Amino acid sequence: MMLSPVSSRFFPHPKPLLTPVDKTLNNADLKTTWMAITTALRADVSVDTYDRWFKDIDLVELDSQQLTLRVPNNIYQLWIETNYISLLRAAVMLVLQETRAIRFVFAGTAAEPPPAPALQPARKAGAATDEPPEPRVTGMNPRNTFDAFVVGTNNQLAHAACKAVSDAPAKTYNPLFLYGGVGLGKTHLMNAIGHAIAGKKKAKVVYLSSESFTNEFIDAIQNNTLIKFRKRYRNADVLLIDDVQFFVGKVQTQEEFFHTFNALFDGHKQLVLSSDRPPSEMAGLETRLVSRFEWGLTVELLAPDVETRVAILRKKAQGMEVKLPNEVLEFLAERIRSNVRRLEGALMRVASYVSLHEGRIPTQEKMEHLLKDILHEEARRAITIDQIQRRVAEHFDVRLADMTSKRRPANIAFPRQIAMYLARELTKISLSEIGDAFGGRDHGTVLHAHRLVKERVLKDEKTRNVVSFLDTQLTR
Amino acid sequence: MKFSVSKEKLLAGLQTVQNVVSTRTTLPILSNVLLHASDGQLRLTTTDLDVGVSGGIEAQIEKPGATTLPARRLANIVRELPAAEVQIDIDSKNVASIRCGQSFFKILGLPEEEFPPLPKFEGAKTFTLNQQALRDALKKTSYSISTDETRYVLNGILFSFKENKLTMVATDGRRLALVDLEVEFPRSQEVEIIVPTKCVTELGRLLGEEGDVKMSVGENQVAFEIGGTLLVSKLIEGNYPNYRQVIPGEAKERITLEREVFLNAVHRVSLLSSEKSNSVKLVFSKNNIEIAANTPDVGEARESLAVAYKGREFSIAFNPEFLQAPLRALSNDEVYLDLIDEMSPGVIKIQSPFLYVLMPMRIS
Repeated sequence: MMLSPVSSRFFPHPKPLLTPVDKTLNNADLKTTWMAITTALRADVSVDTYDRWFKDIDLVELDSQQLTLRVPNNIYQLWIETNYISLLRAAVMLVLQETRAIRFVFAGTAAEPPPAPALQPARKAGAATDEPPEPRVTGMNPRNTFDAFVVGTNNQLAHAACKAVSDAPAKTYNPLFLYGGVGLGKTHLMNAIGHAIAGKKKAKVVYLSSESFTNEFIDAIQNNTLIKFRKRYRNADVLLIDDVQFFVGKVQTQEEFFHTFNALFDGHKQLVLSSDRPPSEMAGLETRLVSRFEWGLTVELLAPDVETRVAILRKKAQGMEVKLPNEVLEFLAERIRSNVRRLEGALMRVASYVSLHEGRIPTQEKMEHLLKDILHEEARRAITIDQIQRRVAEHFDVRLADMTSKRRPANIAFPRQIAMYLARELTKISLSEIGDAFGGRDHGTVLHAHRLVKERVLKDEKTRNVVSFLDTQLTR
Repeated sequence: MKFSVSKEKLLAGLQTVQNVVSTRTTLPILSNVLLHASDGQLRLTTTDLDVGVSGGIEAQIEKPGATTLPARRLANIVRELPAAEVQIDIDSKNVASIRCGQSFFKILGLPEEEFPPLPKFEGAKTFTLNQQALRDALKKTSYSISTDETRYVLNGILFSFKENKLTMVATDGRRLALVDLEVEFPRSQEVEIIVPTKCVTELGRLLGEEGDVKMSVGENQVAFEIGGTLLVSKLIEGNYPNYRQVIPGEAKERITLEREVFLNAVHRVSLLSSEKSNSVKLVFSKNNIEIAANTPDVGEARESLAVAYKGREFSIAFNPEFLQAPLRALSNDEVYLDLIDEMSPGVIKIQSPFLYVLMPMRIS
């Protein structure tokens, strides 16, 4: 007898309803889809359970990312999410052949779908609470919300942490420290937290960049309005400060921020900070500030992988009401890897071209021309073998010359092999050229090194960690 | 400030308020107990900014005044003092000299101005409840409170005052406990509040077996007056889920069980469940329940219980801890288990207004 909390029962196979990716469903389609899903569900829950929890649900929205269900009240969401979510997901998977995020809206909220929509405007797909006009927080982009944020493996931890903070400010992670490279979503997430909290709880949310904080502080000193300055920031319920790396080297501002931080933290107020690097790497920042920044949760935002980039583009294109074929989105996702802002900028350009040319989709050649400066920027950031060799040598504490030398001892040979592996993985350079760069070695040597490291990575955790770390360091 | 008080009274007073002091607090003043001496009474108050307790003890006040002293340290000292009169003298710098018998202690305190005052609320809705009844109701529901901090609305007990009834509900999404108490109050005072877990715990400690407790509900605060002790707490803001929906309708089978016998059997059998196979299976057949658990590669356990059962043969599995918790909290000899089928929640009921809805586990 095997007991497990998740059912693995066989349930009947209804005719799958395939949803083309960019098509928006009308009410009739939604009803049919929901009927198919509930048929699958009915096989696995008792009549009582079905009548109690699923009979009164309507499917109000369905797109390539998520499924929105309208429920009579909040207990439905709690109970279904806790007890029936895997069944529901399985039924969705069966019917749509793909997974979807499942969201709930309550009956009587503003997020009702318009009848027979031809174009879906860039509306937020239903929040779990009603949507009164959101109180604006100065300085934050109103479009930076949680709904508009695409979650991938590169940022799901950061996203979850930010969600948790917006649900229960000062009760989960405090302070929350987000760091990552340019254009990866730090400000977006911070703004999302701000919007969510300002909307839900009547809390005083203050958002500003550290540059603004510094400038205002200097002004306050010069004009003798320090008390007013302090009051503004120390009375906040939630303080969001962007780009704290700007504080490096500014002693007096750091001192002021230190006191502001303490006042808020001791008063159980939520602090969220962002930077381009983790606190420990901010040389020139007082240690007492570094330790405070590290007090709560420090989370990195990485560059998205190609699938996430495609998802981001899709979502943006949808928001811009522009239909672009998959090949175009994939082309953009492939070629622009480092920076979401750049990616979105490229999308804008292509979308403008399409609308100016009455819907004509550009050819690959045309796009290369359109985006040549962006693509050039991307290429510049392409990793060089020299960079790889330096990084690996530094990490293993061997000399750069050892990378090209003929020395065989394992403590030099293995790092060299790792460097060759990374060169093959991270650049488009041919085996022979890599070999040349490593002291005139044969292409076969490089291939052997690649195979060896790959095997080791699969078998040995330490190697896996080291290679993964170096990979991240180089592709940052 | 100068007063003397018997060691027992002082220790009792400190123990009443000590629990609320948070062990890891950012503000030093919060680790202190506020002492306020005047009119033959010494008032002790502690808080963690969410919950606060204030209690009074009789004392001989030579010089009235107020100060704050480290709560834990003071309690530790008083506990070890001989059973005699304790004289405490506090100077203007908040340094306390404690004398008892031949012992002398000196500890540094913080000024009373720094201590956050407990909120006062006017125009609050007040209710008078029986201490024993409330304590009993808390015991019957508090184990079901959710500990998941991301669902903060569930981190407490719902107190719903409606139509001369107080309904208390606690749930974590997988099981729900509900108790009804009869309380008289005017229609204008109907209200629903969520009392956080820490306050519930403290309340359970302070409630006694006799007398009444006065409960005052403010804008987002609640206060309980038990004798001379006052417990104040912030309320959880948010909408508690519509719990009524969870309670199943008509049961298909109702089985009367001897509570203790059933509890012990489930407990024994659950010794062979594990984190991976975390469930016990109940197999119903004519006049018999077989309770079973197994963990692959470890072993299995089975126990048979004689019951009056004439329904169809079926099995249902539950999380052993979720099944035992209400049985431990109840004291009745008999309980009723209402079941529908193996995929529907079971309900444990007793004679008085109480119910416990528990979702089953899936048997594959």
